Amino acid sequence: MKKNILIFLVICAFCDNLLSQSQNPNNLLRNVLKKLQIAKDYSVEANIKVDLPFINMLPINAKIYTKQPDKFKVESKSIAIVPRQGFDQIAKILKDTTQFSAVTQGEEMIEKNKTTIVNIFSQVDTSDLILGKLWIDVQQNIILKSQLTTRSNGTILTEYEYGSQIAYGLPDKMTFTVDIKKFKVPKMIAALTSSKKKQGDTAEEKRRKIFIKLQNYQVNKGLKDEIFVKEKQ
Amino acid sequence: MFWNSTYNELLKIAAKPRSYISIAGITIIVGIILVAMQIDGMTYISFITQPFEQSLNFEGNILNGNLMAFIILQLVIIHIPLLIAFVTGDMVSGEGAMGTIRMLLTKPISRTQILMSKYLAGCAYTFIVLLWMGFMAVVVAKFIFGIGDLMVLKSDGLDIIQADDIPWRFLCGFGLAYLSLITVATLALCLSCFSENSIGPIVATMGIIIVFTIIGSLDVPLFDNVRPLLFTTHMAAWRSFFENPPPYDEIIKSVVILLTYITVLLTVAIQQFKKKDILS
Repeated sequence: MKKNILIFLVICAFCDNLLSQSQNPNNLLRNVLKKLQIAKDYSVEANIKVDLPFINMLPINAKIYTKQPDKFKVESKSIAIVPRQGFDQIAKILKDTTQFSAVTQGEEMIEKNKTTIVNIFSQVDTSDLILGKLWIDVQQNIILKSQLTTRSNGTILTEYEYGSQIAYGLPDKMTFTVDIKKFKVPKMIAALTSSKKKQGDTAEEKRRKIFIKLQNYQVNKGLKDEIFVKEKQ
Repeated sequence: MFWNSTYNELLKIAAKPRSYISIAGITIIVGIILVAMQIDGMTYISFITQPFEQSLNFEGNILNGNLMAFIILQLVIIHIPLLIAFVTGDMVSGEGAMGTIRMLLTKPISRTQILMSKYLAGCAYTFIVLLWMGFMAVVVAKFIFGIGDLMVLKSDGLDIIQADDIPWRFLCGFGLAYLSLITVATLALCLSCFSENSIGPIVATMGIIIVFTIIGSLDVPLFDNVRPLLFTTHMAAWRSFFENPPPYDEIIKSVVILLTYITVLLTVAIQQFKKKDILS
């Protein structure tokens, strides 16, 4: 009997240890990063729809290229607007674990997926990151939602939907909610604008989203560095 | 006989050196803008994108021929009335000053037809000037800067118009700009019928445009009812074609007001010319 109780206690301790290890925020982030790093480079066709109160434009198609560690390019015949905290921001932040400390906040259901919320705080005064909040699907090691506040780009909330490329942690759809302050015409060129002003519309003010649908991923095809050289305008 | 008279008027315009000032002026101004933009255009672009740059990246060929054409139109079109008035303000009074009007009126056509032939020649000249500006602004700029989407800055944000949706807007925009320049040409011709020297109508035309523009831009409630009736208010209506979607009711209103000005001014000019005493 005593032996059985002892075995039971050992098993419980082992499970608890395993559970606590898996819920350890640093482990969670490490697993997410590991998955994100499987794709060394990729190109993908993107359909970008901008729904911002101060910008009136139709959805456009573009091709996005990224390559580790920090290469990123959007190629489009049209003018494309993408959030500054783009596609590789999270991987860049998670790569240097000395820059931040992580704390698990709790759990939350996003649609049918159970996520663990991990908060990350900057540990370095000079770091661009101020605060981050990641909703991580522990089963798949993917981020379903993130909210990053950086010194250079303000706060951007990103929601991810996954499909064909879930094995690489690459989403099929991203929805960015951006933080844009009220639009003011720069004084330098105010004289050249039309003077008609729309009345303030609270519904308009709420439109601050950018939707990006991604398809036809080409992962790990060995993209050349020349692709990322920007053409001089 | 009417068409011969119109042809003669066109030859007279072509023979005057001042007629080429506008062509030369447009070429120089547009040339300067294109060179400046080629060298430092991205600084100008950053003024437009500045309010969004903390959160957003603008990718693609922003500094393109379509944007250049729009900027040129915007900057240059406000100066063209002066160049048009130089020629059309001189069409009747110039004949009086040179003493050729007496001989002109001996032609076997009515005074109305003579004035209309002058008016038609003035309209043709205005068309050529605008066509040259269109060539410089659209064709040359596109040749240098390439094609791309047009980013239009408004007081309440940005409109980004796709490249294949732009040509018709320029065509309609130039059409409306032409109508506003014809209004100026008609005003100058009308004033020319009241004068015996060349300078008077040209200066008076410019004076009226300046006064109307000042009244139009003064944000004083006193002028709220007057402002929509000034033709200068509607001279910028070509910009409406670059809104998404274009405010067609406002465009039609502008067209109606400009056409009303043209009709009234032309009627006054004809009446004045018909009863004008030829003393020179």
